[in-house]
This record gives sequence, C-alpha cells and structure tokens, in this order.
Amino acid sequence: MHLVLFFPFLFGLFPDDVQVQCVLTDFLTSEKMEEAAKGKGTVTSLSSLFPVEDAQKAAKRLQDSIAERQPMLDQLGGFVADNASLINLVRRLPDHLHHDIMVPFGKAAFFPGRLVHTNEFLVLLGEGYYAERTSRQTLEILKRRGMALDSQVDSLNAMLDDLKLEASFLDATASEAAEGLVEIREDYAEETSSEKESEPGPRKQASSSSSGTDFTKVADEDEEFARIASRMDELEKEELEAENEAVSLEQTKDEFAAESYDESDEDEQVEADLHQYSDHKSLHQNVKFSEKAMSRKPPELTEDGIAANKESFTDQLSCLGLTVQPIAKVQDRSSHGNILASDVKSSSGKALVAPQVHNAQAVDLPRSQEVPLQSSKPEFDGQKAFTGSIIERTHNLRTTSREQTTTTSQSSGSQPPKPVSRFKMQRK
Amino acid sequence: MASSSALRELQRELEAKANDLSKIQKDISKNHQVRKKYTIQLGENELVLKELDLLSEDANVFKLIGPVLVKQDLAEARANVRKRIEYISAELKRLDTTLQDLDEKQNSKKETMLKLQQRAQSLQAGKAKA
Repeated sequence: MHLVLFFPFLFGLFPDDVQVQCVLTDFLTSEKMEEAAKGKGTVTSLSSLFPVEDAQKAAKRLQDSIAERQPMLDQLGGFVADNASLINLVRRLPDHLHHDIMVPFGKAAFFPGRLVHTNEFLVLLGEGYYAERTSRQTLEILKRRGMALDSQVDSLNAMLDDLKLEASFLDATASEAAEGLVEIREDYAEETSSEKESEPGPRKQASSSSSGTDFTKVADEDEEFARIASRMDELEKEELEAENEAVSLEQTKDEFAAESYDESDEDEQVEADLHQYSDHKSLHQNVKFSEKAMSRKPPELTEDGIAANKESFTDQLSCLGLTVQPIAKVQDRSSHGNILASDVKSSSGKALVAPQVHNAQAVDLPRSQEVPLQSSKPEFDGQKAFTGSIIERTHNLRTTSREQTTTTSQSSGSQPPKPVSRFKMQRK
Repeated sequence: MASSSALRELQRELEAKANDLSKIQKDISKNHQVRKKYTIQLGENELVLKELDLLSEDANVFKLIGPVLVKQDLAEARANVRKRIEYISAELKRLDTTLQDLDEKQNSKKETMLKLQQRAQSLQAGKAKA
C-alpha cells in the first residue's frame, strides 16, 4: 500500500495543484472507491494529473542539474584541500629563519635559493588587495577562508541532496502514474460517535485468511512507502514554520471545505494505514501528527490519536478481517456486471451524497446489506463521514452482527482464488 | 486560395514571433551569466572587506595595479571596497529588474505564439476538410 503526499517542493512543477493529495492503492483505494461510488468524493487517475512523460521530463531535467553541480562540488573540494595544505605550509615556515628551496624560474627551470623573512607574508585578500601579515595572522585569514569554503560545500551538498530526492520522487511519481494510480478526494462530514461503539468483536475469523495475501501484496511497496514517508516527515518539519502562516492561505485555496478535508480525509486515511501496518506505526504516526499540525491542530488530537492507536493495536486482527469484506463486495459487484469504475465515474464530481446511497442500495440488495459493515467499521470510521440517511444506518446496524458471519465466511471463501488487487480489478 | 494566403501569413507571423522569443531567451541567459559574475564578485568583495576590517590600523595594504603593487591607505582601501560593494549591489538589483521584465516579455510572447499556433492549426484543419 502507498501513501503518497505531494508536497510544496513539487508545487513549483505543478503550481495549479496546491492541495495536499493523498494517493492510496490497494485496500484504501478500493475502500475509498467504494465510498466514492456512493457519491462522497472524486477519483481521478494520477496520470491525468501528472502525465507520465512530463514527470519523466522533470526527472531528467533534475538529473541534468545534478550533473551540472557535481563538478562545482569537486572544484570546491579541491579548494578546500589546497587551503588545508597551505595552512600547513604557513604554519611550518616560521619555524626556521630561512629555508633552502628550489626557486622556479620560468616554466622549465629551477635554481637553488633561500627563503628569508619567513614570518612575513603578503596575503592576497582578493580584488587586487594585498596585506602584509605575519604567519599567525595569515593562518587566521586562511582559516576564515576555509570556513567560507566549508559553508559553500555544505550548501552545495544540501542542494544536491534535495535535487536527488526530488528526482527520485519524480521517478516514483512517473512510474506510479504509469501504473495507473488514482487520486481520491472526498468531503468530510461528521459522523455520530455512536457508530464507533457499534464495532463488535466477532471479526477475527477472516483475519487470518486475508492477512497473508495482503502482506505479500504490499510488502514490496512497503519499503518505498517508508522511504517516502520519512522524507515527508522531514519536509513537513521544515515547512511547518513557514507553513503556519500559509495555512490560512492554503485553506482558502482549497476547493473543498479545507478544514474538513484536510483533517478528515488525510487523518482517516493515515489512521487506516495504522491498522494495516502496525509495524510501521511510528512512521505513520509521525505523518499523522505533522499532517494534523499542518491542518490546524484539532484539540482532540492527543487523546483521540492515542486512543485510536491503542484500539488499533488491540483490534488489529479484527481490522484486517474487516478489509476483506470490501473485496468480497467488489468481486460480487464485478460478477454482477456492475463495474465499479463506472460507478465511481458517475459519482465523482457529484457532491450529492444521500441519493447515491439510496440508489446503490436499491440497485443491489446484497451490497446494501453489506453497507452496515462499512459504516460500523472500527475507530477510524469514527472520523469518516457518513452523510447518508440515518434511517437506513440504524436499520443496518441492527443487522450488522448477523450479516457479519455470512460476509466474512463469504469473503474468506472467495478471496483466495482471486488474489488480485481490487484496484487492478477495477481498472480492467 | 484566400485561406492558404492567410495561413502563409500566419506562419510568417509565427516565425517572427519565434525569432523574438529566442532573442529574449538569449538575453535572459546572458543576463543570468552576468548576474552570476556579479554575485561572485560581490562575495569576493565582501570577503575582502571583512579581512580589511579585521586588519589593525598600522597594517600595510597594497593594491595590485597592473604589474605593480601600490601601497594604499587602509582607510582608503576600505572605502574603495565598500563603494565597490555598493556599486555591485546596485547593478545586481538592476539586473534583477531587467530579468523580471524579460521574463514577463517571454511569457507574453509564448502566449501569443500559442494563440497563433492554434489559429494556424484550426485553419489547417478547415483547409483539410475543404
């Protein structure tokens, strides 16, 4: 699974898209897709936002600039070495009253000579200015110069690192766009907290059967994700100060209600991550915290987050079990000839929520019965929005525990033969 | 026939605009180079000034003029370097403004070129149909 966030260092390249975007594949994607299918958000393919060729072009340009800066760095390194050897020489020279040396004469010849006045230096300060200095004073000047050089080297190195990261990120983006990732945005609406409690225990049945395939599927993407996430953390921290004032600006730019979007969408997605990857917990948490910090720091942050974490720890198995159910649904749907992608398209862009829900339930009875499973999902659902009609929910909630056994058995039965990512299925 | 002549005219116009654009881009790159040179000089001058400020009043300072070293007053040298820094900073500022101007010009030229291209394309499409 991926969680990819596009940060402002990319905005130079894609300036018209200033929102922080979340891109998730596999489970989250399809979970979102399902919600999107019910009319809660929009789904756009990543390749339409960032065309593959453009991303590759940008990456190539970055590589070029890296190659350009490399010789500069080498030159600076040469200067530093020269300076160090000069410092050594100047330090040693006044040790004797005179030095017997070979004096260069023209290009080819040397003749023997003798250095006297070994403590008098005429130092070029630059711009044609020379100053008479003693060895000690010269050493001070040289050391100051060395420091200036070091700072230059440091800044150049930092620049190079930045460029390299950007390039690798763009490469990743290009490949992701080529793979056909989608970006999901959706509005956030409050959900009643009573639904948090409606998550009952007997979910653990399906967990064992599903978790194996899940992890193998996402294992390779996991590494990359961790890398990106750590980088994101860094950038976040750096930007936090600068961004604090910019937050208001960004929010106004946000076409959605910025507050709700930022807090809810990202948080819930990241939290959902927490359930899937308990081993990456710290990372996710970092991401989450920085995210929250960026999006205005809601007061319930601490208790809520901690509580959610705790719960996620204990309920991890059950959560994994939960993720299976959407799979079953998708397979159900595709077998019904009801292609999800089209669902998504039809619903994307529409802000309407309730009608879609009704519609979905009316069309497909088995699906409507499974809706409660989604709505009564664990903690992170608490931040998700279910703006659909309440009447149906309460009805569904009552049936939840009953439905569970059937659906879980269904899913565990139907998943193994089709270990295809739901996301990929939907693309077909 | 009329459409073909119009198309030719459009193409000529487009070419002229492209030439202008490339000229502007050349200017911009030249400007960048000059700017780079000035920035380096500014850094060097600042370094010199720092060192001169650190020198004690009785230190001997020389200026290399052509092949000879000319002894200079320390205060005079400092004043000279300061003036030079001022001059370079002013020059840099000037270059920045011209660079901005050029950028704006470039953008507007690009836009007009795009429009021209679109027109030419639509004309061509119309011709192909006819």
